[in-house]
Amino acid sequence: MIHHGEAAWVLLCLGLLAPAAGAQPLQYRFSMVDEATHYSLNGTSPYNPGNTVVPQPEWGNVATTGLYLGEGILSTSLALTSVASGVAGPDNAFAVHELAVDVSLTDALDLVAGKKILKWGTGYAFNPTGVVEPQRLPSDPTDRLNQNDGRNLVSLTAFLGKTSITAVYLNDAKYADHALHWGQNEVAARVYTLLGGLDLSLVAHYREGDRLELGANTSYVIGDDLELHGEILGKKGSSALYHEILTSDDPSQIFDSYPYVPFYADSKEIFMKVLLGGQYTFSGGVNIALEYYHNEEGLSLGEWKRWMNFVKFQSAVQSGTVHVPAALVVPSRMNLLWSLLTLSTRGAMRDYLFARAAYSEESWGCETICFMNANDQSVVVIPTLTWKPFLSLSVYARYSAYAGRDDSEFGSLFWTGTMTFGVGVQL
Amino acid sequence: MKMAFVVCALGLAVTGLPASGSAQAESAPARKGTDAPDPEALLAQSDMSRNGWESYEVLTTIRNYIDGDLKEEGSYGTSIKGADRTLVKFLNVDVKGQYLLMLDDAMWIYMPNTRKPIRITPLQRLLGNASNGDVARTRYATDYAPTLKGEETVDGVPCYILNLDAKREGATYHRVELWVRKEDARPRKAEIYLTSGKHYKTIFYDTFAMIHDRLLLTQMTIFDRLREGSKTIMTFSGYTPKEIPEKYFNKDYLEKLR
Repeated sequence: MIHHGEAAWVLLCLGLLAPAAGAQPLQYRFSMVDEATHYSLNGTSPYNPGNTVVPQPEWGNVATTGLYLGEGILSTSLALTSVASGVAGPDNAFAVHELAVDVSLTDALDLVAGKKILKWGTGYAFNPTGVVEPQRLPSDPTDRLNQNDGRNLVSLTAFLGKTSITAVYLNDAKYADHALHWGQNEVAARVYTLLGGLDLSLVAHYREGDRLELGANTSYVIGDDLELHGEILGKKGSSALYHEILTSDDPSQIFDSYPYVPFYADSKEIFMKVLLGGQYTFSGGVNIALEYYHNEEGLSLGEWKRWMNFVKFQSAVQSGTVHVPAALVVPSRMNLLWSLLTLSTRGAMRDYLFARAAYSEESWGCETICFMNANDQSVVVIPTLTWKPFLSLSVYARYSAYAGRDDSEFGSLFWTGTMTFGVGVQL
Repeated sequence: MKMAFVVCALGLAVTGLPASGSAQAESAPARKGTDAPDPEALLAQSDMSRNGWESYEVLTTIRNYIDGDLKEEGSYGTSIKGADRTLVKFLNVDVKGQYLLMLDDAMWIYMPNTRKPIRITPLQRLLGNASNGDVARTRYATDYAPTLKGEETVDGVPCYILNLDAKREGATYHRVELWVRKEDARPRKAEIYLTSGKHYKTIFYDTFAMIHDRLLLTQMTIFDRLREGSKTIMTFSGYTPKEIPEKYFNKDYLEKLR
C-alpha cells in the first residue's frame, strides 16, 4: 500500500523542486525493473515444515520504478514497488528513499540535511565500517531493486585537499499517527585521506544506549590489475540480541516470551568485525573479487548447532513427529517464528567468503557470485547472464542455488534454488 | 560503453589536447650547447600544446568502429585541473550519473546505484562494462622519462621521435613512442607498447582548430593493433577554460555530483 506519510514527503519534495527547476535543467535518472521468479522449495527446511509455518510461494514478481531528481541544493530518490506472489496479492509501496538539501557553506565546507544514503565502507559485499549505511543484501550489492533506504541525518564535511572530515548526526525519526516519533540519537565521524596512493579512513560511531564503535578502512592498488581493501570495526561489548537457547544444552524447550537478550551488553570483551578483500583483472577482461568477512557478533558453530537443534525440535512439533501437550503446539509455532530472527541477510555466523567473477562485452555480460559460510561450508551461488539489446534496456536471467547440509545456514533455507528473469530500463 | 575504451581514449585524448598559441609559435627547444633538441623540454612543450589551461572542461565524443561499422558511441564531460586531477562525467543514458575520478596515481569509479566510490585498477571491468584499460593522464612529462630517438617525416610533416618510458606507477603506458612536429612540438602520431613489448596501439592526432585563441585538437584516431579492424575516432568540442573547485577532485565529493 502507499503510505500517506510517504506521499506527503514526495509532494513536499516536488513542490520544493518545482520553483528551483526553472533556474537550471533538472537532473534526473529513471529506472524500471521487473523480475519474475520461480522458487524451488526446500522440503527439508526446518523453518517451514510442510510449507505451513511461513508459506512460501512457488512464483513471485517484483516491479520497481526508481526516480532520482536533483536541482540546485535539493535532491530526492523515489521508488514505487509492486510485489506479487503465489501466496499474496499485489502489494504496492511508495518510498522516499532520499530527500535532502546539500549546501556549500564555503569552498571547502558542505552541509547536508534530510534523508540521505551515506556509504563509508570500501568492501564490495560487506562493509563493517559502513556504520551509517542502510542495511543491504550482499547478494545484491548494486541495489537493482531500489531497496536501499536513506537515513535522517545532518552532516558537515570539510574538504581539505586529499583529505575530508565528516561529522554526522542521525536519528531514525518517523512520522506516524499525526506525530513525529524520535528514534535513538546517533553521531558518527570519519576522517578520510589519500596517502601515497593509499585510501585511508578512520571511523567513529556512537548510538545512544550503545557502545562507541571505532574502525578504519583502506584500499590500495598494486600495478595495473590488483586492488586490495580492508575494513575493521571494534567495540567493547555488544548490543546484538541472542536467543536464550544458546546457553542451554536442552533443545526441547518452548519459551513463553520473547527469547532474545543482549548477552554481552555489559561485557568488557572487544567485538571485532574484519573484512579483507581484493579484486584482480585478467588481461582478457575477466574481473574477480574475493572477500573474507569475520564478525565476532555472529554465532559460533557450536552456538549455531544448539540453536538449530532447538529449531528442529519446534519443527518436529509442528510436523507432528514429536508430540507435546496440545496447549504447547501454538507456542511452539511462535517459537519457530521467533527463531527466524536469528537469521540475517548478512549472515548469522562468524566467517564468510564472497567471490564474484564477471565478464562483459558490448551487448552482453555474465557474472557469478558465490557467498559461502566458512563455518559450515554452505553456499549460495548466483550466476547471471545479461543481454543489452539497446543502451537503455537490459534483459537478464539469474539463478540462485542454495547448497549445504540440512542443518547448515544456506542448506536449511526455504528454497533450494530460485530462477529469475528480469528486464530493466534506464532513462 | 567499455570502460577501458573510455579511459584509455580519454587518456589519449588529453595527451593530444590543446596547444597554446604561444607554444606553437615556438620552435622545438634545443639542448644547451648543441643543435639537438632537449627531449624533456620538447615533451614539456608538447604537453603545453595538450593542456591549454591549468583548469578546463571539454566534451569528448568517442566512436568505436569494427571493420568500418560503428559499434558504440559515448559522450563524456571531462574536467581537468593541473597535471594529476581528472574528473569524467558519463553522459550516455545507460551510465547516467556515473563518474570516474583520477587523482595522482589513484582512480575511482562512482556509480549512482551503489552510492559510493569504488577504488579501481586500470585493467578492471565493472558491472557490465569492459576493462578500464589505461589511466587517463594529462601530462606526459609528469609520467614519462623522454629520450630523443631520431627524426622522421610523417605524411610530409617533419617530426622528432621521442621515446617515453614510464617513470611513475600511474602512467598510462609502459612505453610510448611519440612523434612531435619539429615546427611547434604538436603531437602527430604515437605508438603504444605494453610491458611485454607487444605493439598495442597507434594514434594519429588528426585535426586542430583555433578555439579561444589557441590551436586545439579536435579529432584523433586510435587503431588497436591487438584487434585488427578496430578503430576509434575521438572528437573534442566545447573547450572551456574554467576554475574547477578543488573539492570536485576529492573522492568524497563524488556522491554530491549529479
